[in-house]
Order: sequence, then C-alpha cells, then structure tokens
Amino acid sequence: MSYVTRRRALLLGVVVVVVSAVAVLLSVGLRRDPSAAPSPLIGRIAPDFTLSQLDGKPFTLSTLRGQVVVVNFWASWCTECHTEQPALSQTWQRFQDSGVVVVGVNFQDTTDDAIDYVRKAGVSYPVVEDSDSRTALAYGLRGIPETFVIDRTGRIAARIIGPVDATKLTNQINSMLSAGEQ
Amino acid sequence: MTVRAILPRVRAQLSVILILLAMLAAGITLAVVAMRGRGGNPSEAQQVQQIAAELHCPVCKDLSVADSPAPLARQMREQIAQKLRAGESPDQIRAGFVAAYGDSVLMSPPKRGLSAAVYVLPTIVIAAGLVFAVTLVRRWVRRPEAEPVEDDAAPMSASDRRAVRGAVARLRQEEPDQ
Amino acid sequence: MGELGSYGLVLGLVLAGYGTVAAAVGGRTERPALVESARRAAYALFVTIVVVNGAMMAALLRNDFTLRYVAGNSSRETPAFFRVLALWAADDGSLLLWNLILAGYIAAVALRFRRDRPGTFPYALSVLFAVQVFYLILVNGPARPFATLAHPPADGVGPAPLLQNHPLMAVHPPFLYLGFIGFTVPFAFGIAALLAGHGTDEWVSIIRRWTLGVWCFLTVGLLLGALWSYSVLGWGGYWAWDPVENVALLPWLLSTAFLHSVMLQERRGLARLWNVALVIGAFSLTTFGTFLTRGSVLSSVHAFAQTPVGPAYLTFLAVIMLVGFGLVMWRLPTLRTPARLDSALSREAAFVGNNTLLLAATAIILLGTVFPLVVEATSGEQITVGGPYFKSALTPVFLLLLLLAGTAPLLPWRVTNRARALRRLRVPVIAAALVMVAAAVAGVDGATAVAGFGLATLVLVANGQEVVTGLVVGRRGGRGGILRTLVRGRRRYAGLVVHVGLALAAAGITASSALSQQTEVTLKTGQSTVFGGYILRYEGLRTDEQAHRVVLTAPLKVNEVGGGGAGTLDPRMNLYPAASEPIGSPSIHRGVVWDLYASVISMQDNGDSATFRLYRNPGVNWLWLGGFVMSLGGVAAVWPARRRRDRPEAPVSPAPARTADKVGAA
Repeated sequence: MSYVTRRRALLLGVVVVVVSAVAVLLSVGLRRDPSAAPSPLIGRIAPDFTLSQLDGKPFTLSTLRGQVVVVNFWASWCTECHTEQPALSQTWQRFQDSGVVVVGVNFQDTTDDAIDYVRKAGVSYPVVEDSDSRTALAYGLRGIPETFVIDRTGRIAARIIGPVDATKLTNQINSMLSAGEQ
Repeated sequence: MTVRAILPRVRAQLSVILILLAMLAAGITLAVVAMRGRGGNPSEAQQVQQIAAELHCPVCKDLSVADSPAPLARQMREQIAQKLRAGESPDQIRAGFVAAYGDSVLMSPPKRGLSAAVYVLPTIVIAAGLVFAVTLVRRWVRRPEAEPVEDDAAPMSASDRRAVRGAVARLRQEEPDQ
Repeated sequence: MGELGSYGLVLGLVLAGYGTVAAAVGGRTERPALVESARRAAYALFVTIVVVNGAMMAALLRNDFTLRYVAGNSSRETPAFFRVLALWAADDGSLLLWNLILAGYIAAVALRFRRDRPGTFPYALSVLFAVQVFYLILVNGPARPFATLAHPPADGVGPAPLLQNHPLMAVHPPFLYLGFIGFTVPFAFGIAALLAGHGTDEWVSIIRRWTLGVWCFLTVGLLLGALWSYSVLGWGGYWAWDPVENVALLPWLLSTAFLHSVMLQERRGLARLWNVALVIGAFSLTTFGTFLTRGSVLSSVHAFAQTPVGPAYLTFLAVIMLVGFGLVMWRLPTLRTPARLDSALSREAAFVGNNTLLLAATAIILLGTVFPLVVEATSGEQITVGGPYFKSALTPVFLLLLLLAGTAPLLPWRVTNRARALRRLRVPVIAAALVMVAAAVAGVDGATAVAGFGLATLVLVANGQEVVTGLVVGRRGGRGGILRTLVRGRRRYAGLVVHVGLALAAAGITASSALSQQTEVTLKTGQSTVFGGYILRYEGLRTDEQAHRVVLTAPLKVNEVGGGGAGTLDPRMNLYPAASEPIGSPSIHRGVVWDLYASVISMQDNGDSATFRLYRNPGVNWLWLGGFVMSLGGVAAVWPARRRRDRPEAPVSPAPARTADKVGAA
C-alpha cells in the first residue's frame, strides 16, 4: 500500500476504535438501573434505633437480636407504599410466630396521618415514627418505600427498593430461617 | 530633538507604562485578596453550609445538601449541626454519610482509586490544549510564503484596478483596522 | 385523531425515504429533475408533519384519552395552555416536535436553494432526509406517540407537576430544539462537501450564517433554561451542572468555537479540517445529548422515564460519528492547506487560543459528565461528579476566555502594530484594574471573584470602546455615516455587541457565585426576621383551590430596615394530585443589583408556622441582560443584508479565499 493509503487506513482505524469505545461505554450505561444503587450497608450490622411507636411506647431494634427483622420505611402520602401493604401484612401474619418481626418506620409524616393509615389498612405489626429522619439517614434512604431485611445476627441481608413482592420476601425469610437453624 | 519628534515615542511608552502599572495594581490586589482569605472563624451555620455543600442530596438530582429545598436535605443539615455540636469533625460527619449512602453521596468523587483520575483530567486537558495551540501557531507562522499560483482568469484592467483600490481605500476609512 | 397521526407518520417516513434516495441518486447521476422532486418532497413532508403535530395537539385539547400519550400526560383539569405544552412533556410527544422542527429546517433549506444551488445541495438534502428517516423510524417504531389504549380511562394522569408549574415551559424546549436540530444542516452540507471531495470553502460560506442562527436559538434556549431553573425550581440557583444541562452546553461551546475559527478559513484559508470536524462534533454532541436524556443513562431533572429508544439512538450516534469523522480522515489531503500566518500577535492567533480554550472546556465538561459511567463500568462503584468539580475546573478556562475576548478585538488581522494595540488597550486595562481594586476594597472574597469582575470590565470596556471609536470615525465619513458604518461593518459590530453581552453575563455569574447570601428560618404567623436589609414578616397561610392543584401561599410582608419601601413576597407550595410531594414556587423581588428571593420549603401546624429559605442574589439580572444582549448581537449578525444599488450583489458561490482576503470583504 502506498503511504497515503496506509495513513488513511490508520486514521480511519482510529476513528472506528474511538467510536466503538464510546458505543460500548454508553451501552453499559443503558443497562444501568438508576434506582438500584447498591447499599454499602449490606453485610454490616444494622444501625440501631430507638423510636417511639404510634402509641408512645419506645421501640429499640437491638432488642430483636436473634430474630429476623423486616424494616419497612413508608409514609401515608406514598402511593407505592399502599400497593405493598398487603404483602407486608401477609408476611407478618405468616411469620410472626416463627421469630420474624415486621416493623414499619414512618418517614416524613404526621402522627395523625400515620395513625389514620394504620387503622384503615389494618396494620398489626409495630410502627414507629422517625420524625427527624435520623434513622432514615442512617440507613441511606433515597426514597420510599424501601425495605431492609435483617438476619438473626443483626446484619443487613438485603435491601429492597420499591414495593416488596410477597413471594420474594417469603423466600428470603425462609432461606434465612433455615440457615439459622443449621 | 524637538518635542514634536519625541512625543509619539513618549506616547507609546506612556501606554506601556500605564498598562504595566495597571497590571501591577491588579496583581497586588489579587495577591492581597488571596491572602486575606475568609475572615475569622466560621460560624456554626457557615460550617454546616460548607459541609452540606460537599454532600449530594440523596433525593434530588444534582443538588447539594446545602442548596436543596427538599425536606430530607433540611433534616440532613440539622443532623450535621447536631453532630458538629457533639464535637464531630467535618471528616467524621462526611464519613458517617458515606457509610450509609456510599461514595455517591459526596458531590465530588473521593480522591483515591480510579476516581482520582477525574482531578487530573482538567490539568491535562488544559496543558495539552495550550501546547497544541502554541505549536500550531508557530507552525503556521514559520511556513514559507506560498508559491504564487498561476491565475487562469484574465488579468485585471487598469480601470478595474483603480476601482478596487478606491473601494479598499473607502473601506479602510470607514472601518479602521478591520 | 390517532389514526390520522399514525398514517401521517407512515406517510412522512415514506416521503423522507424517497427524498433520501432521490436526492442522492439525482446528485450522483446528475439528474436535476430527481433532485427537484426531492426538493418538493421536503415541502410535502413538512406539511405532513405539521398535520401530525396538529392531530396530537387536537387530541390533547379534546382530552382524547384513547391515546396512551394523552392519558399519560394530560388531564381534564389541566388548563388548556398546559395541555398544549404537554406535547413536549414526555419522550414520545417531544419526538413529534423534534420531527416537526427537523422537517421545517429541511423545507427551509429546500426553499432557500430553490434557484441558485451549490453543487453539494443534492447530497446535503439526502443527508438531511436520512436523519429525518431515523427520527421517523423512532416514532413509528419504539416510541409511538399515537399508540392507543384498549380501555381508555375517564381522566388522564396529567403532566408531571414540575412541567405545568410555569409558562416558561412553553418556550424553553422549543428554542433548545431549534438550536439542537439546527446543527443538522451544517452537518449535512459538511458531509456533502466531504463526499464531493473538493475543498470546503464554499461550504463555509453557505453554512456560516446558518450556524450563527442556530447559535442564537441555542443561546436563547440555554438562557431560558437557566431562567426556568432560577424562577421555578426554588433552590435559588440557575445552573446545577446537571448532566442534561451539561450536554446542552457542549454544542453551544463548539458552535461558538466554530463561529470564530470560520473566520480563519474565510480570511486565510486555514483551519478547513478543523471547521468540518467542529461541525460534525457539534452534531454528534447534540445526538449524544438527546441520547443521554432519553436513554436513561444518567439521572437528572430532565431525564424522561426509561424508554426503549436508547439502543436506537446509540446506533444512530455511532453511524454519524463513523461516517462524519471517517469522511474527514478520508479527505484529509484535500483539507490541508499551505496557508500561513504572518504573526503570532494577531487576531488569527487569538482565534486559535479561543478555539483551544473552548475545546478544553468542552472536553472537561464531557469527561466529567461521563466519568461516573466509566467508573461504574470498570469497578462497579457509584460516584457523583457535581457542581464543585466543574466550577473549579472550568474557572481558569473561562477567565482566560474573558481575557481573550477583551484583547483580541483590539488586535488587527495579520500583524499588530504594537504601539497602536497598546494604546487601545490602555483604557480597558486601567478600568479593569480600578474595578478590581474597588472590589477588593468593598470586601469581595476570593481572588477568582475579583479577577472575574476585572476581566468582565476589560471585555466590556474594550469592546465598547471599539464600537464607539468605529462609530465616531464613521460619523466623520459623511452622509448617514453612523448607520452606514454599522451596516457595512455589521459582522464586526455584532460581534462586539455579543462580547459586551458576554461581559455582562460574566459579571452576573461572578457576582451571584461569589456574593450570594442565604438563610433558613422558621416563622410563626406574625413573626418577623431580618435579612439582607429587610424585615420579613410571615402573614399566615393562604389556601387557594384550583382545578388542577391546591396552592398554599405563605405570604411575607417585606419592609426595608430603615423604614419605607414595603412590598410582599408570595412563595408557594403547589399540591398536585399526581405528585406525592408539593412543588414549591419561589417568589422573587428583582432589583437592578440584587434579587430578594424567598422559597417556602415546609409548613407545620396547619400553616401556623412555615420554614423559609431566603436568598440575597446579586448579579442574576445582569446574567439575563447579558444573555439577551448576546442574542441580540447574534441576530444582528444573521440579519440578511439589504441589497443596495451602489454595490453589486454578492454571488452565492463567493470568490475563493485569496481574493476575498485582498478586498477585505466582511
């Protein structure tokens, strides 16, 4: 090949390489789910909290060590939280005698609205209020609903963003219960 | 030498002197301001602002905790204030949020690992740009005068030449140094 | 309605496809009749797309909820004005607008070249049609705006609350689109010139004013976006270094560079390769920008929900870049010139500096915006690159650009007479120094802020001085002197005016970045606070129930500390049924030097107590004014010249650069 043709081919090659790199990079970005930010808390001991329940009685997370705890952040004004309520109540009904506790943490809401909602939705598991969002911040909350599943050693095993799926949650809890028994 | 002969030279020197004086004044001013820095000890509110400005509001798109009007951001600011009062250092406070949210809660990436590359990028880009610009200008200036190209068109007639010269003179008059 | 729209889109695709082939074949085989038919197809295409957009607009106004788009983006309660705006509220609809504007541009090109046509016209038309084909495939395929619902709901969801809060939504996207899409034309002509293989000097003369017009649209669009962010979003700022904001800025930077370097080509025959590459780069960046916005690659205020059009855009972007830059590399030998510069101290050299700095800014912003993607792709970590990074990285670049803008207009072409240049620099430099000293004495913190004020003054005085001296000389030139001078030297004076606007904007940006104050305070009804020389008293909650929202106003009575000068600020929180959280609207008292800005961010105890953020923002209005002046300057430069009898009309295909250089044509 003449010098000119070789040079042209080289330059064209450079263009192809650069464009391909850009394309690959951007297609990686396409597969990125902006809401599924991995939590750095997974595998670490869940941040402890002492918050008052809706009736005023205090509730401390660390007293539940040894049980599986499902911590669900919610608010009365959050429409997606309404959709996951049946799944959470179901889970509570099913597992409350098996060493599993579901606790709802009310986020940026008023006590009256929370009590109202709990009554209407028939929530029977403990519900606490996080009025200054200290707990939400400690758990790295980016929105609601978010649910954390804590194992018997007190470590965070999973973080679910968005409404929970009853089946998946059940499977998760079952696997944690059986793991504990071994 | 007469005064009239010296005057243009003095005028030229005057420009240089004035400009140099002005630049000197500007330089000194900048140095003074840079050394003056921010006055005194920052108040608690200012400290909260500083720390909050370095944190990314988790529920917003691209606003810092200092700028964001979101309720969660407000509560974060309150928590920062509480932690400051409890004696925590800014580094500890930042680390606390990173422990919960990960590195993405910082407005600028941490200076370790791959992320550190982003801090050198601007310097490299600007340096490369300047080198490129200087090289290009020098290459263009140093090029030899182009060979006069054979013009196929018929040469200009004398009247045409005069017309062109007149037009150029008029334009020069109306647009100095255009 | 839906059917009309769908069939219209199919027809449009057919027309565009025909146009692509007919123009290309007609150009290759030199059959003017084919090219002419393609030209007419452009008109037909435009009419078709207008009808399609009209169909969507009618569907929105008539609340036709059988269409998925209408059901998802409009509702019965939405006021008619915002129902119309819903056309560009979401991805599918905004693609309709995109197609409309693109078809409009193609029709404009067809109209413009209905008689005198450059040799590149057929291929350029073909490329334009090809781009339109892509966008029509999108609306006929992955993103169908006229898709129907099997069970239409009784009422729609309504537009996203943020998008129906303020009438600025009416103008910001269209101007931005006019800017982005406009780059297709220079790109098309550039590709055509490269394909034709003979020099790009003719291309530059065709394209220069066009790109200038597009630049004007983009400037206005960006300005409106900043104005919207400031007046509507309530955080007291106008630019958040949001990824979408960043990518909108990139084509603006590149086109500014082009508008300068094009003069290098016109006058000296230099930078041919560079100019073509700039235009291809600008067009690639606009496509990249829309990809980022729609492909859900990076999160931002503008990013529409995840859509299936991402891969399509990616492919299109890859094709554009391959074809564009590939052609540039292919034709490299024809683009090189042996032209030279006479001196390193000349306006030409300053333009090289200008382009370098603008390119550096573009590179920094692009790399910084994309960096989180790179890190995540390689190590899986998620990081943020935010405002502080961009501000610190770009400040030196922009300061240097200001320096150039204040000195280069004083440098002549070719060679500088050093003494004369220094004499012209005298007043601007002294003025700049004085302002810097004054700023320092007044207590401005930070060397960059002081430098910013000084350089802005330099630019303002230097360019203003050039305008004044030019006019003064013109006046001496006899009858109608000033007007004639302005019109004859239109490009130059327009450029000076743009720089003056830049100086004002720079001063505004410096002031608002460095001297803003803010505070956050909770007030009970009747309680007052002192801020920024004013006493503000919370008057108590006012509720206003409207058709599509509930407005909670937290009025503040404002009095000057020294007594006198009363007024009110009415920051609001708007509750929309579709949104779980209220959208705040700030209240701004705009002043010549600074704004008093109030936002209500939360209310407690049924409105008995409210939390406010109060800002004192200096210089923001200088930014709007400066931007406006820049746009005016741009428009003045684009405005077509009136034909006058004492000068022969300039031919469409101008003389080559050498002769143009000798006569010093504007």
